[in-house]
Amino acid sequence: MTQQEITPREALIRLGASTGEAIAKVLEMFVPGTVERGEVTVLADGVSPFANVARGSIATSVSYVDGVTGANVFVMTPAGARALAAAMGAAAEEVAEGADPSPLSELELSALSEAANQTMAAAAAAIGVVLGQGIEISTPDTRVLDDPAGAADIYGTAPHATSTTFMIAGESCRLIQLVPRAFVVRMVRAIDEESAERTDSTVGTGSAARAARSAVDSSPHSLALEEALGGISLRVWAELGRTRMPLGSALGLPVGAVVDLDRTADAPVDLYVNGMRFARGQLLVTDDGEWAVSLDGLDSQGLSMLDLARSAQAQPRELVEPAPEVVEPAAESSDIESEDRIEDRDPTSTAEPETPEVTQSEVEGAVK
Amino acid sequence: MARVLVVDDAAFMRKVVSDALASGGHEVVGEAGNGVEAVKQFQALAPELTTLDITMPEKDGLEALAEIIALDPRARVLMCSALGQESKVIESIQKGAKDFVVKPFQPAQLLEAVGKALAA
Repeated sequence: MTQQEITPREALIRLGASTGEAIAKVLEMFVPGTVERGEVTVLADGVSPFANVARGSIATSVSYVDGVTGANVFVMTPAGARALAAAMGAAAEEVAEGADPSPLSELELSALSEAANQTMAAAAAAIGVVLGQGIEISTPDTRVLDDPAGAADIYGTAPHATSTTFMIAGESCRLIQLVPRAFVVRMVRAIDEESAERTDSTVGTGSAARAARSAVDSSPHSLALEEALGGISLRVWAELGRTRMPLGSALGLPVGAVVDLDRTADAPVDLYVNGMRFARGQLLVTDDGEWAVSLDGLDSQGLSMLDLARSAQAQPRELVEPAPEVVEPAAESSDIESEDRIEDRDPTSTAEPETPEVTQSEVEGAVK
Repeated sequence: MARVLVVDDAAFMRKVVSDALASGGHEVVGEAGNGVEAVKQFQALAPELTTLDITMPEKDGLEALAEIIALDPRARVLMCSALGQESKVIESIQKGAKDFVVKPFQPAQLLEAVGKALAA
């Protein structure tokens, strides 16, 4: 295998495609059914990326400010900009028939800035996946390009530039990316590393592999959230049952005491992910003598990564309800890989229970 | 129904959020366009809930959140995130934000998140 299988030009095309796809997916949320991404062009040396921009075009720009550097300028025709702003809910002021269209209002320009913010945040996430690190973006700048020839004074120049075309509501728009040399070097390296990983394994698991797949068939939502959140370890446990008792009684329980729970022995147990019940199942004992749960119903078919993340973030307050009796580590199921992670419990989380409810039993593990 | 401070650097988003909150019966008691204004408005207005954009000039949402929580550890703050900012969302929750909503969102989604943040 050669050390470098991808050229800088190919890396730039990959960059433009990945960025453009992420942007198109977000734009599609604003103007459904009217967004189409076109070709990515790597501009030749010496060619101004703003050479063919019409006077009066609307330009929104967002720069990468941490992780990598570079500028992204989304250039729209006034009609395209107005259509996008209107689709977002920033209606244009009414103009008398036959009169010249008024300049875009402050609210319309603000909507376009917000569109740039949201699209470029998604694009930064996509590029971050390729490079394997987070990328921060600047706040957006939106302006009318009265003198496109002077755009370099506004946005600067870079050794490399790409132009990616879009159609939005029938209007031609384009994304111009000004790419520093170091950015291209890192793209080439990241993609080459992915190529090496693919050689070693039939299934690419590296960041560039994920990005490559994402550029083809995934949304920026999955890029931004599922790619990132999919690796977060979450606590999984099964609840056998619960009851209530006064705190004094709980403190006075002697060894050997029997606490009745609210479920029969043959009732299904509930499976939780970080405080969120997501499935029911039958408690089993594996051949190895460990507890397991065979799922027979999902409480929330639509349980998304965001829900899980929100659940994970709500963990401190979920754990206000104490669960002092850890029965046995296990809780494997057909679609959730678990491992013993009892030590993951925050020792402070049960320190100040608000409710003296003390009989939740749990089997605990972690989703990889 | 709650008294809400809306913070976003985009006037358009402040309008979107304010309109959605009004449709849900909430009262928008103030607006701020950056983190510095947000902290000042929070001190002056003592809102029951603050919606807070993440990417803002001068002082971003995470910095403003930290100052707001320092002023009032029980402050209810709802983060407004763009796609791709999940690490910042998680950081904001760790810093004390009650919930978050991802832009672009429908009014019902915002109101649902507001309800969760108020109930937290």
